[in-house]
Amino acid sequence: MNVLSTIEIGQPKTIVGYHTQDATLLRKLVTLGMMPGIEIILEQRFPSYIIKLGHTRTSIDRETAESIFVQ
Amino acid sequence: MNPVVYPEPIEAAIARLEAWLRDLGDRHPFPGYTLSPRSLVLLLLQKDPALWEQLQRDEEQCREVEIEIAVAQNQLHQPLELAIAQTRHQQARMLERVALQQPKSGTQPWAETLHQITVNPITGFPILVVILYLGVYKFVGEFGAGELVDRIESFFEGQINPVVDRFVAQTIPWEPIQDLIGNEYGIITLGIRYATAIVLPVVATYFLMFSLLEDSGYLPRLSLMLDRLFKWIGLSGRAVIPMVLGLGCDTMATIVTRTLETKRERLIATFLLSLAVPCAAQWGVILGLLAQKPAALIFWGGFITAIFLGVGYLTAKFLPGASGGFYMEIPPLRLPKIRNILTKTWVRVKWYFWEVLPLFIWASVFIWFGRLTGIFDLIIRAIEPLTLALGMPKESAPIFLYGFFRRDYGAAGLFDLQQQNLLTGNQLVVAAIVLTLFLPCVAQLQMIVKERGMKIAMAMVLFIFPFAFLTGFIVNFGLTQLGINF
Amino acid sequence: MDCHQCHRCDSSPSSRSWWRRWRPAPLESQLRSSEAQIALVGMPNVGKSVLFHALTGVYVTVSNYPGTTVEVSRGLMWVGDRAITAIDTPGMYSAIPMSEEERVARDVLMSEPLAAVVHVVDAKNLGRMLPLAFQLIEAGLPVILAANMMDEAHRLGLDLRTEILAQELGIPVIPMAAALNQGIEELRSAIAQKIPAPSPVTASAV
Repeated sequence: MNVLSTIEIGQPKTIVGYHTQDATLLRKLVTLGMMPGIEIILEQRFPSYIIKLGHTRTSIDRETAESIFVQ
Repeated sequence: MNPVVYPEPIEAAIARLEAWLRDLGDRHPFPGYTLSPRSLVLLLLQKDPALWEQLQRDEEQCREVEIEIAVAQNQLHQPLELAIAQTRHQQARMLERVALQQPKSGTQPWAETLHQITVNPITGFPILVVILYLGVYKFVGEFGAGELVDRIESFFEGQINPVVDRFVAQTIPWEPIQDLIGNEYGIITLGIRYATAIVLPVVATYFLMFSLLEDSGYLPRLSLMLDRLFKWIGLSGRAVIPMVLGLGCDTMATIVTRTLETKRERLIATFLLSLAVPCAAQWGVILGLLAQKPAALIFWGGFITAIFLGVGYLTAKFLPGASGGFYMEIPPLRLPKIRNILTKTWVRVKWYFWEVLPLFIWASVFIWFGRLTGIFDLIIRAIEPLTLALGMPKESAPIFLYGFFRRDYGAAGLFDLQQQNLLTGNQLVVAAIVLTLFLPCVAQLQMIVKERGMKIAMAMVLFIFPFAFLTGFIVNFGLTQLGINF
Repeated sequence: MDCHQCHRCDSSPSSRSWWRRWRPAPLESQLRSSEAQIALVGMPNVGKSVLFHALTGVYVTVSNYPGTTVEVSRGLMWVGDRAITAIDTPGMYSAIPMSEEERVARDVLMSEPLAAVVHVVDAKNLGRMLPLAFQLIEAGLPVILAANMMDEAHRLGLDLRTEILAQELGIPVIPMAAALNQGIEELRSAIAQKIPAPSPVTASAV
């Protein structure tokens, strides 16, 4: 299990959980579709994290990327 | 029909709370709502802030719901809210698998490559600079504020103003009324001329460029590229869009700060918009003023950027709270449709023009009234020492007075002075800086009051005025001491 | 009912919307006399405002750019020969608002009487959009699903089984590409089915 911010770029990973107590952040992640069981690909880290999820790309900041566990 | 069936403990809680709501009769906590009881109950279980605020008026009801939440939560191995969301998402994915099929995989190689080079830091930042240079400097600055302004200006000077002046001289016997319509400060010769000849071309070209960026899908990419920089000034990448819009019209941008998530971010964004983000009419005119002196232009641009970042950094330091998180969907890059862009630009320019024109006319009337009664001379004499302290000629005092109405109006006045060769390079730079930092136009002030409240608006005004003058004073002093002449 | 009558014998809808763009004032009175209201809702960036423009001819002015419609706009749209009010709302991710503008969208859903709620989704990201559809259906709202951006979905090689989706959700599903003006008329007739027939009183007055 790894934090999303540290995984290799371009490798499909599956979200397994969150590492945050922030209810608003959780809500945000959920509505963006970043739910446990979903497969994502990290595309880049700088200047912002870009994540591909299905047919959409989402950009998040480091703090958010650090609060998602993947496998 | 229930599209989603939740895990048993949640369904049980829903059933009990639905029954409870039904039995409350006229003590129902949400009588005005048209939503189904199931949906209301689900919102309560997810601790919806608005509904809970209402529920908390009745302690007993509040406790009742809290007990149900606790009971359901006890039987679940994850937070209740997450369990609800996850059930929905699983159901959604299942349905998607059935309804959305991918018999063949299609790709859009050009869109994909373009996306990669716009967000990759090595190519992305140069592209950002090129877009700003071509779009903002070349198109809006040189074409809009230079070429177009010149043409419309000389059309007014040559064709309209003389005709108006002659007409009022012949038809109206009373001089004050002549001055109201024509001559130096008349409604047509000054108000309408400023609005259509100086402000309109700049704003129109800016909106055209903005609509193009927007429809191509570039703006979210700009946001993600600048998120880290904006974090530094207490904002996030989300604030990039209002800021870029602010370079077109600060009043519009102030409305759009609503899309920011925290109160703190909205406050910082509003403040920076009114202090250090010049609107198109303003910077367009300033660009025109300083066009002959590239060093002065770069100094002005660098100085305002430094103020934006510096004041932003300090504000972020002193305002309690943290930067909002950044998350944004990045839609695919699209080839914009000309028709849509033109419609958008047209609608925005129309909004802007009807917003601006009355203010310009009022400003003319006010100036006319002020001059007629002598109040204006009084105020000008009062601010003359201030302009002298800035190293400005006293002819520039009226410009700062116009600046009270609209920053761009002041800038346009500056333009007139420069046309008469009354200002040196340093004076131009100082005046441009003070007018940029100056309080925004009356329309934006109204918007700040509306969006952020009277207290905050007043606090901003009380900071910005002395700050603008003090900065101008320091810049003038510094330039003189260092012997720099632009 | 004078006012009602006058815009019925007006010319074609397109010339009417052209005229309205130039003369915004009468719109207010037209809206007051409209028979029913519908709302457009959905996540940000799904093309609600473009669709709103296609339906009503009204262009959302200041704040209309992706993800940032911050206010509710109203416009008049024609369903056959009946005028109804269409409401464009800011983007919302779920029924629980996360920012001021999302709250605006939900307030419309909670407090306005709506004959139809058009949930606009990005067809290529259907899975991520459906949870909101579930929440709207749960709320008992008369939902129509507008599967927008079908052109982009096709380009990705995606194929939407509209009937299956409609059957599973129990609501009408209209595939469309609002930016290309595709599917607008189909959506209009789906809306027409949701609008209650004019009451006899109104009918006789006209």
